[in-house]
Amino acid sequence: MTVRDETPAGPGVAGAGAPVQRPPAEVRYAGELAALRAGDRDPRPPGWELSLRAARRFVVGDPEAGISRKFVGNPSLVDRALVTLATSRGLMLVGEPGTAKSLLSELIAAAVSGDSTLTVQGGAATTEDQIKYGWNYALLVAEGPSTRSLVPAPMLRGMAEGRLVRFEEITRCPLEVQDSLLSLLSERVVAIPELPGADGMVFARQGFNVIATANTRDRGVNEMSAALKRRFNFETVFPIPDLDTELDLVEAEVARLLSGSGVQPPPDRDVLEVLVGTFRELRAGAGAKDGHGGGGDRSTAVMSTAEAVSVAHAVGVRGWYLRGEPGNASDVVACLAGTAAKDSPEDLARLRRYLEQQAGRRRTPQWQALYDARHLLDD
Amino acid sequence: MTAVFLGVRHHSPACARLVERTIDELRPAHVLVEGPAEMNPRLDELLLGHELPVAVFSHYRDGRRAATSWAPLCDYSPEWVALRAGRAAGAEVRFIDLPAWHPAFAERTNRYADAEVRYARATERLCEQFAVDSPDALWDRLFEAEPDEGVAERLDAYFALVRGDAEADAGDRAREAYMASWVRAAVAAADGGPVLVVTGGFHQPALRRLAASGGPEAVRDAAPGVEHDAVRGVELGTAPGVDLDAVRGMALGTAPGVDLDAAPGVELGADGWPLVPEPPSGADAGSFLVPYSFRRLDAFAGYESGMPSPGFYQEVWERGPQEAADRLLRAVVERLRARKVPVSTADLVAARSLTEGLTALRGHPRTARIDVLDGLAGALITDDLDGPLPWTVRGAIRAGTHPVVVEILAACGGARTGRLHPGTPAPPLVHDVAAQLDRLGLSGDPARAPRLDLTDPGDLERSRALHGLRVLGVPGYERTAGPAHGVDPVFTERWEPRPADGRDAALVEAGAYGATLAEAAAAVLAERAREETDAGALAAALFDTVLCGVSGLSAHLLSELGARVGVLTQPGPLGEVLSAALGLWRHDRVFGVARDPLLAAVIGGATDRLLWLLEGARGPGGVDLPRLRAVVAVRDALRHAPGVSGLDRSAAAAVARRVGRDAGAPFDVRGAAFGLHHVLADPAWAADGTADAVRAVALSGVEALGDWLAGLFAVARDEVTAGVRTNGVGASEGGTGDGARPVPEGAGSLVGVLDDVLCGLPESAFLAGLPALRQAFAFFPPRERERIASQLLARRGLRGSSRALLRTTADPLLIARAGALEDRVTGLLARYGLDRHGIGGTPS
Repeated sequence: MTVRDETPAGPGVAGAGAPVQRPPAEVRYAGELAALRAGDRDPRPPGWELSLRAARRFVVGDPEAGISRKFVGNPSLVDRALVTLATSRGLMLVGEPGTAKSLLSELIAAAVSGDSTLTVQGGAATTEDQIKYGWNYALLVAEGPSTRSLVPAPMLRGMAEGRLVRFEEITRCPLEVQDSLLSLLSERVVAIPELPGADGMVFARQGFNVIATANTRDRGVNEMSAALKRRFNFETVFPIPDLDTELDLVEAEVARLLSGSGVQPPPDRDVLEVLVGTFRELRAGAGAKDGHGGGGDRSTAVMSTAEAVSVAHAVGVRGWYLRGEPGNASDVVACLAGTAAKDSPEDLARLRRYLEQQAGRRRTPQWQALYDARHLLDD
Repeated sequence: MTAVFLGVRHHSPACARLVERTIDELRPAHVLVEGPAEMNPRLDELLLGHELPVAVFSHYRDGRRAATSWAPLCDYSPEWVALRAGRAAGAEVRFIDLPAWHPAFAERTNRYADAEVRYARATERLCEQFAVDSPDALWDRLFEAEPDEGVAERLDAYFALVRGDAEADAGDRAREAYMASWVRAAVAAADGGPVLVVTGGFHQPALRRLAASGGPEAVRDAAPGVEHDAVRGVELGTAPGVDLDAVRGMALGTAPGVDLDAAPGVELGADGWPLVPEPPSGADAGSFLVPYSFRRLDAFAGYESGMPSPGFYQEVWERGPQEAADRLLRAVVERLRARKVPVSTADLVAARSLTEGLTALRGHPRTARIDVLDGLAGALITDDLDGPLPWTVRGAIRAGTHPVVVEILAACGGARTGRLHPGTPAPPLVHDVAAQLDRLGLSGDPARAPRLDLTDPGDLERSRALHGLRVLGVPGYERTAGPAHGVDPVFTERWEPRPADGRDAALVEAGAYGATLAEAAAAVLAERAREETDAGALAAALFDTVLCGVSGLSAHLLSELGARVGVLTQPGPLGEVLSAALGLWRHDRVFGVARDPLLAAVIGGATDRLLWLLEGARGPGGVDLPRLRAVVAVRDALRHAPGVSGLDRSAAAAVARRVGRDAGAPFDVRGAAFGLHHVLADPAWAADGTADAVRAVALSGVEALGDWLAGLFAVARDEVTAGVRTNGVGASEGGTGDGARPVPEGAGSLVGVLDDVLCGLPESAFLAGLPALRQAFAFFPPRERERIASQLLARRGLRGSSRALLRTTADPLLIARAGALEDRVTGLLARYGLDRHGIGGTPS
């Protein structure tokens, strides 16, 4: 059978004229990808648009060649991920929410297949139709099953076209739906019994593989069947290990967001440092001496870098529009209450305990200001 | 005249191969090796034919400081190869570094720890440049996985870059000046013959410059005829923005504030060679060979180490990288299968293909350690991890690491332990132990079972020696009776020393930990403390420290124990550690550790941690006695050890106040915190909210009230009783004379409030809460309960024996149940008109 021809060059081009909020990676970095493709001398795995090394450079960056660093994390993780995708196992990215798993999978798909849009978004309501194929029922009734009435879902298209398919939040799907991937990943074929003849079997072309992401908060990978686990190599993506790197990233992102929101003063680095420091300690389990493994003290709320950016954004907006100055430590406390706590009183208590017992000991002015503003949590 | 400088990384097979090759080609007349110069007269001892790893163990003690340090050597140590091959090639081999006792080594326990790690900026930049995770991965990539050609030039460039970024400390500069004087002497003595200098790469650039500056000798680079700047440009110069000439200038030029030409304080002997500094008079110093182990060598297991995964590199050294990788894969799979972790053939295929793919992707000409590790981890782990893979960061492996990762690292680390040639002089510990046992009269008749009275100074010393041997794992020393913990009122011990196999071997092995029994025991205990995560084991380590009498010996042990208690998660066991430590700190007369800084560190750390845990306490109702005892321990620490650092009374009181008001906390903790707050902030119980608090808690039910009271009485019973005495009695005697306003009620009113609350309860509710209430009042001794009873009688205006109220002939619950039965019978009788009133009222 033939699957619907041509992928559109991306939604960014589809709706001509109207600027797209967030074009996919292959559009955003089209120039870099083209340059890499042009200069790529290394062997390419069959079905890949770039060699492994070029794909790696695309993700971890190569300042000399003008390739920006897009993923801040262990480079060896990217190595393992790419090599996994070149083998017969799928890649499973697990980790806390907000650790840039989806970004990594998007970047890899863009580099390897030149297309990051073959995506299944997992959820409680995800069905097999959305993974393999469905039907255009009007055509199905009118003409019977045919390649015309068939509506291929991302997996089928990925297999037929030899591209990477992204399966986001796979653990949020019901287990039986997850298991429908089993035969697909081991046999590398999808049977469409309704279609006669050769069209009834779609064999995966070279270049097809699956990148799944799962976050450890909603519903961990523990419930996933052993059979499916076996077909993936697992990579845990961690929050940014280094304070300075994370701080730089937050600062850059926040400065961009703030200017987008019409806030004039750039964020105060010291305030950001307090904010990011608080996030990191709550994430690691505050109170532990070495910052690791505070036992049951870890915050259950998501304390990701992305969340830190959004809090810092709110802090800046608050400071500017309420008082006409950059956000300060008391804004941080006020905004933290909404993030660190969300709807869990335990997390709020944990945050309060952190401010009371830990923040007050730091002697720098911003930490002291944070400590002094702790009463704002109760308002 | 020439000197060839080889800068190496300690414990690097690639560097060892380079040394071997260079000696082979150069046939040097002198080989100078970074190592303790005081060992030079005894180099033959080193080459007796030991099974490596072994270490040169150095100890030092004077009135001011005591230090021990090691210079570990394994088969693939460049230093070892230089000794071995240099000797075989007929060269004069010498160690040229300062003795380990020299102040330049203060704070260091491993001579061959990576120096450049202390100067991480350059390696960090290089890691970024080469897109690798850690300096170890960078090293593998640049040197171990690369072919041997050109390795000398790459090493030079690498270390010039690292050194260029760093400012060597005074210790490093002193050592370099000293080593340079040896180089100059050797060049002079060689009289035209080649001289090979093998030192840590970090020192090499400075050494080269220093050696040249001291004399007219021509000094040439390791690889003759190679243009170094060109090499640098090719190999490392890819980093934009790194001005290589500047780097080189910095590396080879003067470090700020050092007069490099002076080479201070190095005296030459009559034979033209530098003198080895003698330890100051009165100090005890020496160096010995001791067996070492891969486990201690492994950077994942310890601190201040060199390269990680010694087992793997041993294989690389013996069999080459490809076979090492294969064998590692096999070893890991075997270990996992032995642990019943399923590893399928498909997993093996995946691990293998991942490894090969990674080797190719990273451009390694042959499989590197990180390729194998990454491949194994990628294929075998099917869970999310709690922390990053240990080889992507530097430092010791953390508790709670995924079991597969642990097995991988264990397989990499290897289990080899060294063995000394029988002809080696025994390490000082062996002599020290023999002398001590002799002096203490313990070496005589082994069948005698010494009973030791710990209050006797002589016996205490004997006990310490025996405990030291026990802690060191020397077989044959078993204590059959004695105090089990710090507050155990047992002052005698019974020991049964008997001849045991392997005792001498165990002592030689233990000799690696220290020169004296006490030092060795302290080192072992510090290691134990570092590895334990369980409160009980930690408390045991702490008590062993006390038993061995070594707490004052090791600052490292001190900080280790203090830090360890800071990560415990259960208040109960932590409280026990705290109260035991506090008991010893306050009262100990037996072991001589009262006011001991080690215990103070534990007290400070544990109190801090407990306050943190208490504020987060959540959970079901009921009374958690261990947790309450922990609060009591906190109270005692704050009350009796005020000078200990980390204890802040007002901060603790604030925590207690918050916990006391925290509606989410369990009631027993709230009660305890309420009590703690008053004890700390308001000892006179003046501004008392007790009555209000009781009433508020009573709204949550009698059981909650019981739990709350249990907490309160556990922590502040004395204060509450004091209130009963002063306020209760005082009020009734003196009166106020002011009817409108009663006495400002103190804790004495507690009884009254409770009485009111309880009397107002329906029978069923009272019964439900009775067990909890009984538990709460169990904290009072009978005498105080009697006082409370008499107060209750007084409240009712009754006269009688309050003691009789406390003495029941049966179980109070039984009586209460009997009362309930009576109530029910009365109810039934009334219902059918059969009660006295009914019968009496019915005219016959």
